[in-house]
Amino acid sequence: MAANMKAVKLRIKSVQSTMQITKAMQLVAASKLRKAKEKADNSKPYLDTLLATLRDIAGGNTDFQSPYTKVGKSDKWLYVVIAGDRGLAGGYNSNLFKFMESETKGRDIEVLPIGKKSVEYFKHRNVPIFTEEFAEVAKVTVSECFAVAKLLCEAYKEERFGHIFLCYTDFISMMSQVPKASSILPLSDLKVEEEEKKKSKSLILYEPDSETVFNTVVPEYLAGVLYSSINISVASELAARRTAMEAATDNAEEMIETLSLYYNRARQASITQEITEIVAGAEEP
Amino acid sequence: MATYHLQVVSLDGMEYEGEVERILLRTVDGDVEILARHTNYCTGIGMGTARVTLGNGTERKAACIGGMLSVMDGEVRVLPTTWEWSDEIDVERARSAKARAEEALKDAQLTKEARVRAEAKLYRALVRIGSAQ
Repeated sequence: MAANMKAVKLRIKSVQSTMQITKAMQLVAASKLRKAKEKADNSKPYLDTLLATLRDIAGGNTDFQSPYTKVGKSDKWLYVVIAGDRGLAGGYNSNLFKFMESETKGRDIEVLPIGKKSVEYFKHRNVPIFTEEFAEVAKVTVSECFAVAKLLCEAYKEERFGHIFLCYTDFISMMSQVPKASSILPLSDLKVEEEEKKKSKSLILYEPDSETVFNTVVPEYLAGVLYSSINISVASELAARRTAMEAATDNAEEMIETLSLYYNRARQASITQEITEIVAGAEEP
Repeated sequence: MATYHLQVVSLDGMEYEGEVERILLRTVDGDVEILARHTNYCTGIGMGTARVTLGNGTERKAACIGGMLSVMDGEVRVLPTTWEWSDEIDVERARSAKARAEEALKDAQLTKEARVRAEAKLYRALVRIGSAQ
C-alpha cells in the first residue's frame, strides 16, 4: 500500500505541473487574442470597401477586360494555405488540413503554405510547393503580403494556374472557428455580383483608363485579402488554443481531484490497517 | 463651400470618416483635387502628401501611399495602402530610413530588384518627411 501511495503522489505532482503549463498557455493565448482580434477587426473595413469598389467598377463596365477577370486556361489550382506555427491548439491545424483534403480532392494542386505546420504537412504529403519563403505566420508583415500578392499576380498572368484559392480559418466567435476556402483569382466573385446587379450603367471616369486602374488595384486587393486573412487566422488559432488549454486545465483539475481522493482513501486504509494490527497485537494475553 | 462625405480606410482601419470640403492627393497620373459633386471617378493612388480640407475650413496633411481613390454617387472613398496623418508620422524613423536607402543606393553593384526596392523606400521616406512639415 505504501508503494502505491507514493506512485499516486508522484502522479498528482506530474499532473499538477502539466496543469501549470496549460494554465499559463491559456492565459498567454487569451491576452494575445485580444490584440489579434483588434488587428483582424481593423483590417476588415478596408477589405469590404475595396471589394465594394471593385464590384462597382466591374459592374459598371460591360466591355471590361483584365487578365485577372478572365478564367485561366490552365487546370492547375493554387491554394494559399494559412495554418499555425505551433501545435497545442486543439483541432485548429488538423481541421484545416482535413478541410483542405476534401476541398482539393481530384484537383491538380500546388500550395503556397503560410505557417510552419502548413509547410510540414504538405512536405510530408509530397504536395508540390510554390514557395516556402513565408513559413512563419506570426512574422508575416504587410510588405510581405504585398510580395506574396505580386508573386500570385505574376504566376496568374503567366497562366501557370487557372484558379487561385485562399484557405484559412474564419473566426466566428471565441468558441467556434471554421476552416474556409475562398477564390481570390480570377475575380469570379465580382462577376456573380455583376449579374445580380443587372448592370447598373453608371458611368465612371477612369484615369488613366479602367484597365490600368484595375491592374494596379488587384495586387493591392490581394495583399489586403491576404493580410486580413492572416490576421483572422492568427486570431482563430489563439482562440482555439485558449479553448483547448482551458479544457486541458479543467481535465487536469478533475484528474487531481480523483487522484487525491484515491490517495486519501489509501492513506486512511493504511492507518486503519495499522490500528487493527496494533489492537490485534494488544489483545493477545 | 459645399461639403461631401469622405471615407479614408487603410489596412490599419478607418482613418477618417466625415464631411470635408476637398481633398488633394497625388494619383498615378498626377495631383488631383476632388470637390463636392464630382463625377463618378476612379484612379490609382501614387505617393505623395494628401491635403484634406475639413468642413470647418481647417486643413490636415497626411502621407498617402498606394491604393485607390473612388467617387461613386457623391461618396468619396480613399483606400490607401498606408495613410499617416502628419502628426502621427515618426520623422526620426523616416529620416533614418532615408539615410539607409541612400546608403544602399550608393552601391554600384546593386541588383535591379534591390535598387527598385531601395528607391521605393527612399521615396516613401521622402513623402513622410515632406508630409510631416
